[in-house]
Parts: sequence; C-alpha cells; structure tokens
Amino acid sequence: MQKYISQQNLNTLLDKLITKGIRVVAPRISAGIPLYEPLKCSDEMVTDQLPRRSAKEAFFPVCEEIMSYEKEGQQVKLTDVDPARFPETVLVGVRPCDAAAIPVLDAVFSWDYKDEFFLERRRKTTIIGLACTTADDACFCTAVGLSPAETRGSDLFLTLLDGGGYACESYSEKGEALINGNGELFSESNNAVPFHLAAPQAEKIDLKKVKAWLDEHFEDPLWDGIAVRCVGCGACAFVCPACHCFDIVDEGTEKNGKRRKSWDACGFWKFTHHASGHNPRDLQPKRYRNRIMHKFKYYDDKFGQTLCTGCGRCVRICPVGIDIAAIVDEINKK
Amino acid sequence: MCDHTNKNIYLPYLTTVTEVIDETPDVRTLRLVFQDEKVRDSFAFRAGQFAEYSAFGAGEATFCIASSPTRTGYIECSFRSVGRVTEELRRLEVGDSMGFRGPYGNSYPIEEFYGKNLVFVAGGIALPPLRTLIWNCLDLRDKFGEITIVYGARTEADLVYKRELKEWQERGDVRLVKTVDPGGAGPEWDGKVGFVPTILEETAPSAENTVALVCGPPIMIKFTLPVLEKLGFSDEQVYTTLENRMKCGLGKCGRCNVGNVYVCKDGPVFTAKQVKAMPMEF
Repeated sequence: MQKYISQQNLNTLLDKLITKGIRVVAPRISAGIPLYEPLKCSDEMVTDQLPRRSAKEAFFPVCEEIMSYEKEGQQVKLTDVDPARFPETVLVGVRPCDAAAIPVLDAVFSWDYKDEFFLERRRKTTIIGLACTTADDACFCTAVGLSPAETRGSDLFLTLLDGGGYACESYSEKGEALINGNGELFSESNNAVPFHLAAPQAEKIDLKKVKAWLDEHFEDPLWDGIAVRCVGCGACAFVCPACHCFDIVDEGTEKNGKRRKSWDACGFWKFTHHASGHNPRDLQPKRYRNRIMHKFKYYDDKFGQTLCTGCGRCVRICPVGIDIAAIVDEINKK
Repeated sequence: MCDHTNKNIYLPYLTTVTEVIDETPDVRTLRLVFQDEKVRDSFAFRAGQFAEYSAFGAGEATFCIASSPTRTGYIECSFRSVGRVTEELRRLEVGDSMGFRGPYGNSYPIEEFYGKNLVFVAGGIALPPLRTLIWNCLDLRDKFGEITIVYGARTEADLVYKRELKEWQERGDVRLVKTVDPGGAGPEWDGKVGFVPTILEETAPSAENTVALVCGPPIMIKFTLPVLEKLGFSDEQVYTTLENRMKCGLGKCGRCNVGNVYVCKDGPVFTAKQVKAMPMEF
C-alpha cells in the first residue's frame, strides 16, 4: 500500500517511537561524522549525507559480548547473553545500498548454525529505507544491479517528494504494522512527483560474466597489479555493508572477563596466519584476491548472491585509491 | 550451569581436565570430561571432526578430537604450545575447567572403508587426526583388512603417543613402520631412518582394495601424494585432513576457506581428488 507522510509527521512518528522506548537508529552526526546511531530525538536525523559506516552494525555490532566467564578455583562459571536484551528497533533513513545488504547477510548468519545475535536483532528491527537523492562519483549501485530507488531489504520505503514529504510504500508485515499502528500520521498517497532521484554514473556490470572470469582466474597477473599498493589496513571491510568476517577474542583477566565477537578483515595478514607460522594467504595480492573472490564468486557459489551493493564506501575510504568498481568493470570488459 | 537450549552457537560446554600427558617437550594431550552429565551421556562425534577449545581469558584454539568415538565418557585433544591460547591450555592441570565447542565439520566415511585395507601415513604433530580413526578402526578390527601405519617425526623425541606406538608395534594385527628424519635417531632407536615419503615407498603397501589416510605438514603431503600415485593409489583412494586458522568453526567467520571450499564445513576431511581441485591456497 502506498501512503503519504509529511516530514513533520515522520518526525512525530520517530519521537513517538522513542518515547515508547523503541530504539530508533538513523543517520546522525556523531563527532562530526555521519553514522547510523540511536536517536535521542527526531531532529538529530540527517538524511543528506551517506553515513561513514553502513547500517549492518544495527544487527552485527563492531564488537559485542557473546558470553562472560568467571573463575573460582578450578571451576568456571559461564554467563550467556540473553537475546531478550536486544531492543526492539526501528532503523530509519537507510540508504538503499545499505538496506539491500541486510538480506544478503541473512544467508550467512542463518544457514546451518543460526547466529541468534544477528537473527534476533533482525526479527526485532523494522527497516525504513530512503530513496537516494544524491550520489557521488564513487557510488556504483547501478553497476551491481541496484538503484537509488531499490527497495530490497526495506520494510517501509520512503521517497522524497517534490514539494516536501514522502511517498511511503510498505513491503512487509512489519512495515504494514508500523503504518497501521500510527495511521493518524499517514494519509492517502497524493500522487505528487518524486523529488529527483540520484543518478549514479556507473554502467551495469554483467555479474555472471565477472563470476565466470573469476571461476577461471584464481591465478592471474591482475591480482599483483591491484594489490601491490594495498596497505592491508582493512578499512574497506570495516565500512562495507556486506563484509561480515569476524574474530572471537577473550578480553579480561585470568579471573573474569568477556568473550567478544568483533569485525575482522581478510586484508589483515593475521587473518589466516597459523600458529605454526604458515600463512596460506601470506602476501597482500592473495588477500586482495580473496576479497574480490568472496564478493563476486564464493558468496555466489554458496548462497547465489553478490556480496557487494555498490555503496562506494571502500572506494572513498581507501588510503591508496583502490577502486573495486573499476576492478570489477575491468574484469567485465575482459 | 549455562543452558545450551537457548541456542547461543558460540557458547562452549564446560569440561574438566582429568588427565595430562606430555607427548613431547612441547606437545601435550588433555583428557576432558563434560561437566554436565546430560552432555556426557549424549555427546557423540565421528572420527575426523574438530572442535574449538577454550582457555578462558586467552580465547579458543582449533584442533581435531584426537580420541576415538568408540571410547566414550571422555574426549582427548593433543596440541603443541605455540600461541597465546595453547600456552594457556598447557597451564591447565587435572581438575581445571576448560571450554569445548563442537563437534564440527565432516568426518572420515568409515563405513565406506569396511572390508578394505588401510594405510595410515602421518608426520610429526599430525598423528592426532589419524589416531582418532586408527583406534576407531582397531576397536572394530574385524571390519577391516590389513592395517599399516607409517609414522615419522624429525627426531625420536618428536614422536607423539609413544606408548601407543609401542602398543601398535606389539599387536599382531597392525603393521607399524616408524621412522625419524636422518640425524633424528637416538642410540636406542629401533625404527627406520628416513623421510616419511621415502619410507612409505620402501614399505610399498598394495593399493589394491586399500584406502590411504595421510596427515602431515604441507611439505610431507607434497612428497607423499606422488609416492601413493606411484604405488597405484588413485586420488579417490587417498584421504587427508586440512587445517586452517578458524574462529567460529561454523561457516560464518570467513577465514578458513581455500577458494570457495570452507574447511570448517566442507572439511576438514577431503580426498586427494578434492584437494587437487582446490586452488593452491593452503
């Protein structure tokens, strides 16, 4: 169902949710940087800047406790994390490239063993996507088959209208429930013209063709050419909406402490380093190859999906100017 | 006591160390018993599977379950102290608590080996992933033909499970060929001297109706596979286990892959045919 909501009513809705104790996460300025963070009040929401990191951390935090331990003599007591503590959340103002990455992550966290840290938050979160009205030259959602109006992953999707307010389309029961529970703030669609959408310049890439090339070119001079300048800082993975590799570490004393799950990156030398000293991906080109392979081949082999939504964050943040879109485009033209 | 029904897949079981055995100056075996009686009774695994072992405060380390599924009531792991976690595991004494998550990964298709001859080929610290299967097969001895074990290490001191080597040597139904690298023999050494692939070639087990199970450092595997080929083994007749750095063990954390093969889920047991189809990334 398509509805209309004014900017004022959207703010009222968010404030109402906050008052009810629901965690409302949206892009806001935090120490000068736009980030998806819990709002104290709707005025904090900033919709004209792409957040520095993606929205995945609403489900998969940078670092989170997965249990704690306490030693008493020879005995150890473990305390589990109660998933009931994950708050009901509305994630709003989510860029289409960020929202689209979330169902992609569902695949890895729900196949076989279920990661309830991710999945329970997922169940408790309603995602309100927002069509993009600005793009820069690093944006390439259009190259990987998405667009500034992509609704995949969104429960509700907002499109800014010429003259103000938003067209609001529901794509799930969660979305419907949010509209129905706050009916007074929505009105019938007024058929207003959408504000001009962003128009990323990136041409569509044939992802099947890219994958077919990757299937045959584990060994290729391309990898050395790209990665010789990679410093292995891992920033690309940390800002990526789809990267999900993680580490598990204990932090504490011998007496007590916590076990934590935290983001990791395949660009790090230590990522695959064996205790014996052997490292199967001992050189940066091998690690960068894994990054491209995982995104455009391995994840597709396993889950039938591409692990990239073209947000362009890795392109903007790379300190040595490695451009994944250009690399994939180069493969596409081979 | 933590309740495992709430589905935190990262939550380990608690075990108690009931025995500590020093295999070599830096390799230790721990025998573990589950603290929860229900887990003790219901825990089952298959030879070849691995687990994540916790030293609380240091973290988790990945090794195979080194004991046989036929020996119930306990599990054993053997490890070399080389890192933060294994150094901490080494400090554990009888009665101490240790975490265990598992069993994970695939296993040897032991039922497919019934009626066949078995050749085990291991080097150094890589005997534990075969020892689980060796005892499993010896405990079901009637189901198999001839059993040959070729095991070597750099020096006599580096051989693990010395008491069991003696037991295998004394059994009439196992052919044990033990070897040390040149320069590694002491004055009392009663085995061969030479690298494992060389000694395997000299031992020359028949490939007919036989399965070879190979585990060792990459360099040993590299030189052993051509020897097996020369002896007439096809790549489908040869099994090995791969090891990679892991964190979750559950197919999620993203580091143990060799190409698109995830060692934690698709392995750790592979045929030589499967290994040869993988990109050179291990």
